[in-house]
Amino acid sequence: MELSGYTYSTPNLDAVFAALADPTRRAILSRLAEGQASVNEIAAPFDISQPAVSKHLKVLERAGLIARGVDEQRRPARLTAENLAAAVDWLTEFKQFWTTSFDQLDDVLNQMKQAEAKDTDHE
Amino acid sequence: MSDLPEYVIDRVFDAPRAMVWRAWTDPELLARWYGPGVETIIHKFDLKPGGTWLNEMKWGDKGDLSKAVFLEVVPEEKLVWHHSSTDTDWNIASNPMMPDWPRVLLTTVTFEDAGAKTKLRLAWVPFEASEAEIACFAGAVAGMGKGWESGFAIMDEIFAELQA
Repeated sequence: MELSGYTYSTPNLDAVFAALADPTRRAILSRLAEGQASVNEIAAPFDISQPAVSKHLKVLERAGLIARGVDEQRRPARLTAENLAAAVDWLTEFKQFWTTSFDQLDDVLNQMKQAEAKDTDHE
Repeated sequence: MSDLPEYVIDRVFDAPRAMVWRAWTDPELLARWYGPGVETIIHKFDLKPGGTWLNEMKWGDKGDLSKAVFLEVVPEEKLVWHHSSTDTDWNIASNPMMPDWPRVLLTTVTFEDAGAKTKLRLAWVPFEASEAEIACFAGAVAGMGKGWESGFAIMDEIFAELQA
């Protein structure tokens, strides 16, 4: 499982998010989720050159999102889970901040409405 | 300017606009809902342009400090502020986990009638951000938006693969 040279004690989420900002790179990750692939195989469905794909793969590799095989001919790329998992965790937390806070705001508004109704009753 | 990444959340609340505004701008009410399942302590809340909101959130032995500097306060319509994480002296600080997360996010909250309900929109845009901060935020927004719900699908596949 362990790939040489790509161990991060704390995942560098900066690099991960910068890598994920590009739609082509996200599409490449989706492709790799189906299994490892060579540069040629990755380039096939895209309207971009092989060198351009290689460049994207380098960014993904530096972010620790993929690893390249040692096979000098094909150097197949495949996903590595750890940094992607950390990024997804972070995003989930970020998203949940507002959705959960807003659920709590719903509760507060209900309490305010009840308090108001009570006040009206007393008048 | 217009091509800056933006994070937008829309939500409809079943309450009149004046009430929703009050829940946002009365610090006692705000502390009751702001922050998911945490203890929220509002150290300062000065609701006027140039005024600040100093906020602390606590959960377990962890905490988070943030500062808002209000730019626009239009009652029952609009709240605009600069949002930042801070150190314990309330100085703007970068996120330790993500040094390139934008240090200042321009936050705009708008309140609109939707019949007897209130439609609220919250938007976050990086403010005076470096290229690295913009790229970081753009990636995060892309990760949260509809464009990349597949991120979660990818994770599921990887976990399934690892367990196989």
